[in-house]
Amino acid sequence: MLDARDLCKRFGALTVTSGVTLSVPAGERRVVLGPNGAGKTTLFNLLAGELRPDAGSIRLCGRDVTALGVDARARLGLSRSYQRNTLFAGLSVRENLALAAATAQGRSATLLSDSLRHPAVVETVAEVAARLGLTERLDWPADALPYGDRRRLELGLALATRPRVLLMDEPTSGIGPGAIEAFHAVLRGLPADLTLVVVEHDMDLAFEIADRVTVLDHGEVVFEGPPAAARESPLVREIYLGRWRRDA
Amino acid sequence: MFHQTPLKTLAMALLAAGGVACALTTGFYGRELITEIAILAMLAIALDLVAGYGGMVSLCHGALYGAGAYAFAAATVLAGWGGGAGILAAVLAGGIAAWAVGAVTARTQGIFFIMATLAFGQMGYVTVFDARALGANDGLPGVPRLDLSAIGLDLGDSRSFALFCIALAVAAYAFAAALLRSGFGRTLVGIRANAARMRALGLPVWRYKAAAFGLSGAIAGLAGALAAQHTSFVSPGLLHWTVSGELLILVILGGLGTLVGAVLGAAALVLLKHQVSGFTDHWHLVVGVVLIAAVLAGGRGLYGGIEHWWTRRRMPAAPAEGGGA
Repeated sequence: MLDARDLCKRFGALTVTSGVTLSVPAGERRVVLGPNGAGKTTLFNLLAGELRPDAGSIRLCGRDVTALGVDARARLGLSRSYQRNTLFAGLSVRENLALAAATAQGRSATLLSDSLRHPAVVETVAEVAARLGLTERLDWPADALPYGDRRRLELGLALATRPRVLLMDEPTSGIGPGAIEAFHAVLRGLPADLTLVVVEHDMDLAFEIADRVTVLDHGEVVFEGPPAAARESPLVREIYLGRWRRDA
Repeated sequence: MFHQTPLKTLAMALLAAGGVACALTTGFYGRELITEIAILAMLAIALDLVAGYGGMVSLCHGALYGAGAYAFAAATVLAGWGGGAGILAAVLAGGIAAWAVGAVTARTQGIFFIMATLAFGQMGYVTVFDARALGANDGLPGVPRLDLSAIGLDLGDSRSFALFCIALAVAAYAFAAALLRSGFGRTLVGIRANAARMRALGLPVWRYKAAAFGLSGAIAGLAGALAAQHTSFVSPGLLHWTVSGELLILVILGGLGTLVGAVLGAAALVLLKHQVSGFTDHWHLVVGVVLIAAVLAGGRGLYGGIEHWWTRRRMPAAPAEGGGA
């Protein structure tokens, strides 16, 4: 479904992504782990098309998308949520979700009707809001939401496009322990055919939802395998769990 | 998001009715003022469409207005076409020029967008200023008015022309309002709110920005064609950046991103200019003070202030305020 081969990205003298190969088959839940500065977000920006790789190629559903921009990749079914919320400020939750759904459904240029009130858009908004527990908040301005709800809306914008591949950059960043549990439930409830690539700091979540785990360090893939193997791997313990335990 | 609220409808109806009443009851000078307001209002609607709703603050709308005026003048005076073809030429000239500017500047934002539009506008001004075929800095005199005698209207008459301009200003408002309520308008507001996110959702953002700018330019071109007919004369001054600047001032004064505010701002500016210039030549100073006051008072502008007061009065416990914590 999503195949990246030998991706390289340098910023000046700093190599941020070095020969990363990542192959995620349809329906798999892949978690990308790594310490701060390992190049996780850069990898995401390369996959989403916000950055162009210096070398390597990216295929989406069998198609080479290396030269395509963010919007073209999104139209092929690649959606992403951001580590920092990037919502439509000043608009309501309903309008936020409806804009995402209408854009993905190709209703952006309709001139004679309101795309946000199209039945297919309204239906998607209701479904996504129900899935994320935002139904009660639909008429709230996005800026007035509590932080946890804004985090869900961030995911909601990505889901409202009904993607085939969803990239989530630290979906639980900044939310409290209680809300994280609810977030796990949301992630577990996502459609089984959705291909999911998640950058995550939270180890419990990573091991709970992942089919496979990829560990990055200094821009390189240092481990790839099932979560249980990641737990056992001395290398992963050394570079990731070790530091994590010391932190805790 | 734009909604044609009852308050907006009421305000537009009052403004249009006021204009018609003035056109019917005042003398020649009053009708000239009303015509000037109607044309400026149309141009302000064009600017608010992109600046207020699309987040594209343009300093080249004067040039687009001038492009329309010159296209009309060239078509009628130089090419000898009829007024109808002249108006079509003006709409196309404004629209195509604006689309081109929009397509080139679509990837820039904020201050860079403003500067890029300013540069394009001034290029237009200099080009016309030096164009011998267009009369260079002397301009083109003798621009005829549209011939509507077939339907019994003599636009040479100042009253008929004022009513004609009011009708087209109302039509421009209706067009802009319909556009903003469509899927295209919703997309435009999405781009203003967060262009990067719209792109991540799959939107080719620049195409939409260019299209919106083009439509806005078409309205500006139409306003230019009316201005050329109004004074029966076009000059490079129409394209000068100060026209764009004054336009931006009146849209902010009326209420940026409210559409009705553009019309109200045009009326307020022309009437203020008229009143103040009665006793001093320094009317710019007074307009400046009024603008500063409007910005310091919350930046909502005249109509924005009215709308804010009205919604708060009717819904003291809106969810926005109620759920802020």
